[in-house]
Amino acid sequence: MKKSIKSLMFIASLMLLVILVAACGQGDEDELVVYSSRNERFVQPLLDKFSEETGITVRTLHEADALQLKEETGNVQADIFISNDIGALEYLRMEALLASFDGEGVETIEAPYRADDNSWIAISARSRGFIYNKDMITEEEMPKTMEALMDEEFEGQFAITRGGNGGMIGNVSALRNEWGDEMTAEWIEAIKDNAAGIYSGHGDIRQAVGAGEHPFGLVNNYYYHQQLEEPTNNNVGFIYPDQGEGEMGVIANAAGVGLVNGAPNEEDAKAFIEWLLLPENQLEFVGESLEIPINTDLEPPYEHAVKFADLKVQQMPLKDLGKYFEDTKELIEQSGLDLELR
Amino acid sequence: MSEDHQNHHQSNNDKNVKAGEDTSLAVLRFLRRKWMDSWHGNPPGKVLFLFGLLTGLIMSIPIIYVIWQSLFAGIDRWRRLLDDRIPQLLLDTFSLTAAVTLCAVLIGVTLSWIVVRTDIPGRKIWQWLLALPLVIPPYVGAMTYIIVFGPSGWVKNAWREVPWLVNMFDEYPINIYSFWGVFFVLTMFTYPYVFLIASASLRKMNRNFEEIARSQGMNTRQIFWKVNLPFLRPAIGAGAILIALYVLSDFGVIAMMRYVTFTAAIYFQRASFDTASASILSLVLMLLTIIILWIEVKTRKKSKYYQTSNTFKEPNVLSLGKWKIPTLIYVCIIFFVSVVLPIIVLVYWSVIGIGRGALDARFFGFAWNSLRISLFASLLCMVLSMPIIYLKSRYPSVISSSIDRLSYAGYALPGVIVALGMIFVFNNHLPALYNTFYMVAIALVIRFLPQAMQAGEASLSLVSPRIDEAARSLGHPPWKVMFKVILPSILPGVLAGGALVFVSSIKELPATLMLRPPGFDTLAVRVYVEANESFYYLAAPAALIIILISIIPLRYLLKKY
Repeated sequence: MKKSIKSLMFIASLMLLVILVAACGQGDEDELVVYSSRNERFVQPLLDKFSEETGITVRTLHEADALQLKEETGNVQADIFISNDIGALEYLRMEALLASFDGEGVETIEAPYRADDNSWIAISARSRGFIYNKDMITEEEMPKTMEALMDEEFEGQFAITRGGNGGMIGNVSALRNEWGDEMTAEWIEAIKDNAAGIYSGHGDIRQAVGAGEHPFGLVNNYYYHQQLEEPTNNNVGFIYPDQGEGEMGVIANAAGVGLVNGAPNEEDAKAFIEWLLLPENQLEFVGESLEIPINTDLEPPYEHAVKFADLKVQQMPLKDLGKYFEDTKELIEQSGLDLELR
Repeated sequence: MSEDHQNHHQSNNDKNVKAGEDTSLAVLRFLRRKWMDSWHGNPPGKVLFLFGLLTGLIMSIPIIYVIWQSLFAGIDRWRRLLDDRIPQLLLDTFSLTAAVTLCAVLIGVTLSWIVVRTDIPGRKIWQWLLALPLVIPPYVGAMTYIIVFGPSGWVKNAWREVPWLVNMFDEYPINIYSFWGVFFVLTMFTYPYVFLIASASLRKMNRNFEEIARSQGMNTRQIFWKVNLPFLRPAIGAGAILIALYVLSDFGVIAMMRYVTFTAAIYFQRASFDTASASILSLVLMLLTIIILWIEVKTRKKSKYYQTSNTFKEPNVLSLGKWKIPTLIYVCIIFFVSVVLPIIVLVYWSVIGIGRGALDARFFGFAWNSLRISLFASLLCMVLSMPIIYLKSRYPSVISSSIDRLSYAGYALPGVIVALGMIFVFNNHLPALYNTFYMVAIALVIRFLPQAMQAGEASLSLVSPRIDEAARSLGHPPWKVMFKVILPSILPGVLAGGALVFVSSIKELPATLMLRPPGFDTLAVRVYVEANESFYYLAAPAALIIILISIIPLRYLLKKY
């Protein structure tokens, strides 16, 4: 009997300990809550660096969706939203879910790459294009426009991502702006039928193309840089589409950071953005992704990257992507390209 | 006349008032009597009752909320889903459930027959070796098979090196991301349920029946079909239902291997914040689960087979003869595929991972998160299960058994549905707890409380109610009796229940994945995330730790059956 009372006491104290332990870390004052939809590999080192330099604890939710911020409108959790898609950031701003920012360092980013009230700021840019395997297809044989992917000629020749991939959504939004919904829907349907492989992410595509499983694939340009850095399977090239006379220019998008409206840790959030705008941290944001920094004073981490100034880029201002954010997914799904792999 | 009338009216009114008082009193009295009747004249103390009732309600509220949401999702949405989505999902879910159940039952029954009734070498060791897949969470199993057979897996790479294979079959023919891939993995990691239950019932089988059958001139095969199989039917039924329920609720394997059943569809609808559609799909999945549970109740009632215990003779062991080698090969293949190969893969990648520094501070942070959330959930379960099982066993009534049943809601239903309900409830009504450690812990309690209840109940049934009565007669209220007198004597059972909850919580994937607050990833979540990104060297060490912890209650599980 005595023994069991003892063990009861032991359990009670253990429970108390667990509750205490569970509780600590919750009420921590100096912390920052980050929601991120950008690849964890690129974001985590940046946030670790911030924690280390400032002593502010960062709690991160990776693979977060912009719509979660909307759901939590009455009960705001996040301070910062990091996104791969300017459309998502501008959408949040239009919904009044982001707050304006006027801290230091804003002017290092050109105006077209910021919200009007600086509630979001883009740090690194990417463009869409075709990575191809030089052993399988020559530059001349490659399609030179987005529209060309609809041709029967390329049936079974290339790989795309699933419809819910952020890069694909931005791509479709830009086409809607250029072509209108009807033709965009046709394009989606056609590339879905023509594609030989539909992958979860662009990383799978670059590896598959590098390994010779497909002649080419529709990706963001920095995946080409990443594949060139691989020790093997790196005989790849890249086409920036729609560069010709009268063509629309390459589709661009950017990754950036937004300040959440009503952020519980607003001071820390602002401190984070100012810290991020320091040149060395802008480079850290680009990180292993090998994207191109938007700040033109910075050396791109991938030195052979084609500068945006040397490309013909689509006319549409990036922030216009926000107008299409809400129903682009629906259009993609209706056109028969599944958002998730199944 | 008019005065008279008024008078009459007046008195009538008075009478009405009086009657009203009388009826309200009568209603009260009636309710009181009903209340006493329902407890058979022995109602529990208020504290105990309220505590139990509250627990029962907490257990079921999220699910009620999901049902509520789905009913108000709008006719258009219902129609769209009923037209496009639901028929396909029903077909995919049903075909997978049927195929896995059938095959797992087949494997489980044959293995248990071989191990219990034949002279296969190493019988005693096989008995627990073949139950080992239970410690490997199926989503970990899925990861290992993606590593081996996936599009950039070991087999494919080997395939390319072998010219005659390429010549004969051309391209690598296996697509692991398919019905057959999911089917294979789920079967391999769920058959032990049938194996354990069927072994237990084979061991209890009385030899007398077989001897009589043999004396009537039946051969072994006829005896199997006419005598053994009918005796095994309840065990097969119970195992089949466990497996069917598991397949319906599994999220990890299905999501990782890119097959879409209801759970995955609910998860992805939720991930794109179409919550209304997610709750509609949840309602359909709930109905499916209820149908299976209903089948279970039906078949259990219909088929009663009695074993006579007073003349029990142990079943004899059959000699395999020339079948010894083929049987041994069969058993070894199953064991290799469901235990050895996955462990080899995990150890291989863990070694690489440790070499690349996967065991960093971050990793230990995840392990610590897993540990503290599981500890907290198991302690909560131990405390909360007590009043419910105490009420049920000492104060049996419609009310206490309803509370008991309510507590099973989250256990029987898939984790994605529980999580969906939790998000609704906490974001709208409990903002202070939303997105915290506690929200995840409560979800785990809702999912696993019945495990603690079952273990506690088993011990409680061994304690005589006389002890309670003695304590009550000395003036303790029921809740005090429960904690001071009963708890110490059933502590081992409660702790065993706590251990079960602990292990289930460590392995839990869907609810944790959907509810985790920012910065709170557990080992199970990391296995899922890293494996989906093909960072196997980061996923493997976490998976191995989960498996090592899962071995703890294996002894208990083996004893139970």
